[in-house]
Amino acid sequence: MQTLRMNSALLPELLEALKEWGRVWAPVERAPDVFSLEVIDDDVRRARPEALRTIVPFKKLLLKPRFTMLSGRTGEAPTDPLDNDAGAQVLFGVHACDVHALKILDLLYLTDYADPYYQRNREQLVVIGYGCWPDEHCFCESMDTSSVDDGFDLFLTPLEGRFLVAVGTSVGDDIVRANPNLFEAATRQDTRDYLRRLREREEAFSLEIDVTDLPYVLELKKDDPVWDELGKKCLCCGSCSMVCPTCSCFNVMDEVGPGGDSSRVRIWDACLYRDYAVVAGGHNFRADRADRVRQRYYHKQEAFVREFGMPSCVGCGRCIENCPTGINVVEVFQYVRGEL
Amino acid sequence: MKFQLPQPLKVRGAPRELATGANPYQPAPARVMRIQDLTPDVRLFELRFSDGSLARTFAWRPGQFVELSVLGVGEGPFSLPSSPTRPGILQLGIRRAGTLTNYLFDHISEGDELGIRGPLGNGFPVERFSNHDVLMIAGGLGMVPLRGLLHYLLDLRSSVGRIILLYGSRSPEQVLFRDELESLARRGDAEIVLSVDSAGGRIWNGREGVVTELLDDVELDVDRTYAVACGPPVFYEFVLEKLVDAGFGKNRIFLSLERRMECGVGKCGHCAVGYTFTCLHGPVFSYWDAINLPELIYT
Repeated sequence: MQTLRMNSALLPELLEALKEWGRVWAPVERAPDVFSLEVIDDDVRRARPEALRTIVPFKKLLLKPRFTMLSGRTGEAPTDPLDNDAGAQVLFGVHACDVHALKILDLLYLTDYADPYYQRNREQLVVIGYGCWPDEHCFCESMDTSSVDDGFDLFLTPLEGRFLVAVGTSVGDDIVRANPNLFEAATRQDTRDYLRRLREREEAFSLEIDVTDLPYVLELKKDDPVWDELGKKCLCCGSCSMVCPTCSCFNVMDEVGPGGDSSRVRIWDACLYRDYAVVAGGHNFRADRADRVRQRYYHKQEAFVREFGMPSCVGCGRCIENCPTGINVVEVFQYVRGEL
Repeated sequence: MKFQLPQPLKVRGAPRELATGANPYQPAPARVMRIQDLTPDVRLFELRFSDGSLARTFAWRPGQFVELSVLGVGEGPFSLPSSPTRPGILQLGIRRAGTLTNYLFDHISEGDELGIRGPLGNGFPVERFSNHDVLMIAGGLGMVPLRGLLHYLLDLRSSVGRIILLYGSRSPEQVLFRDELESLARRGDAEIVLSVDSAGGRIWNGREGVVTELLDDVELDVDRTYAVACGPPVFYEFVLEKLVDAGFGKNRIFLSLERRMECGVGKCGHCAVGYTFTCLHGPVFSYWDAINLPELIYT
């Protein structure tokens, strides 16, 4: 990996240059302290990469909340209308936790039977990371996702008056070589400042979650009344799943349009929804709210660990920020461990 | 006999493709060759891929399933009651249960084209069955996948020991493949015992009572036998522990499970139970694996 530096004042110029690689998406402030991930091609100065979390994460760039997978005449062989294809896109301002989330989605969608809808957008996605500073909802440090070594094309870490720029891929190198006026060699002082920032950032985390032996602890606690308690509190609205960068369940439904044309439509789904596990004939394998709540936490912190050796929660804090009844994932696991 | 089983599934391995196409969500057209009523609400659909080369090469493991699709109506997972030793024609045993199956019953006739994706899931570990006795226990519609396995074992008759099938239904008219099973039983290649909960005064040569009772009358050498069970949730509650009581290790009992398998390729999440995607790691599990997944058998 190559490391460079860039003057902070040159950021708008970099963003302009990035348009060459596709439509540029970045966090934008929609209301005071409310950020959304939007295309900033019309005015790159809207970018707010330091913003901690956009409501909906980057996953919407790869798989639209709703798109047509297949279409054609009803009852005939369908074709892929390329409805989800977004073309070349640049994702600017991704924090370490979300880069990890992107790697988790890759694991899910690009291994085994690759998902062509995801794959086509993913192959054209340029990822520009950005070094963030935690707030009271961040617990990526506990999830081991507070920094990244790969999964980005460029990664900008803000230092006093400049950025330390890690070049992670050949595409990142293309961007650097096409814009020689923006970048210069990093100095020893840059390294020293980066290391100091790293230490201070570690100190800045206030939220912690103990993941020691968590899959087995959950196994032991699978019949604990804590899940019934949570079932009473949770509205099963699915907000946590919609804003989660690694929640990627989807539902498929067929729609018949006027004139006999049909579409097979794919829509974001959540395991908390009541009819999520209903099979033909009407049997619901998770009719109780408590079972659905438990399933969500177990899938993230137990199931995924057993299958892939790591949890699928990256500690971004979106679910904490967006739960309408104030369910806090960190507190849930403190309850499970009997610490609350 | 010329056929080749696909390799057992490696979960989350290197990228690979379904036989029906590179886009795992895109069904391949298949023509309905024959439709036969098995019971008042179960029909056998025989299909052949419209693409001749796919029709010839499509192979599956007993216990695998396919997604059957009608664009504009929907898709659903169905297990295969036919054996890969008899390729070319795919059979699906379908019960009228929801939107898609109602459409299939009411609007699909011979000659129509449907869509198929597959083969999906892991299937039964048939390699392990060779030179062993195989005890199959079916409840209700669970006979559908086991009939595929039964045909497979019969076609490889010399490589397996005893083939035993215990099959319980609610009533004589609910018995699937009744003529065929009765004739196989007479031929003696397999030991087949059928039972119904109640004959209700109709002509019935089989047994009356629940299928678990049939187990009491079968002499088994459990050390050289694999058990395969398939049926509704309530069936498993009785059968599995009874097999353990009979001396079977939990890793020598296999079962096939139903879940909402929507994408079939481990992406959509609907069939997830614990760390398991039923469509990818299953639908066949050993009892040991299944009992360690909360919700998998007992809900």
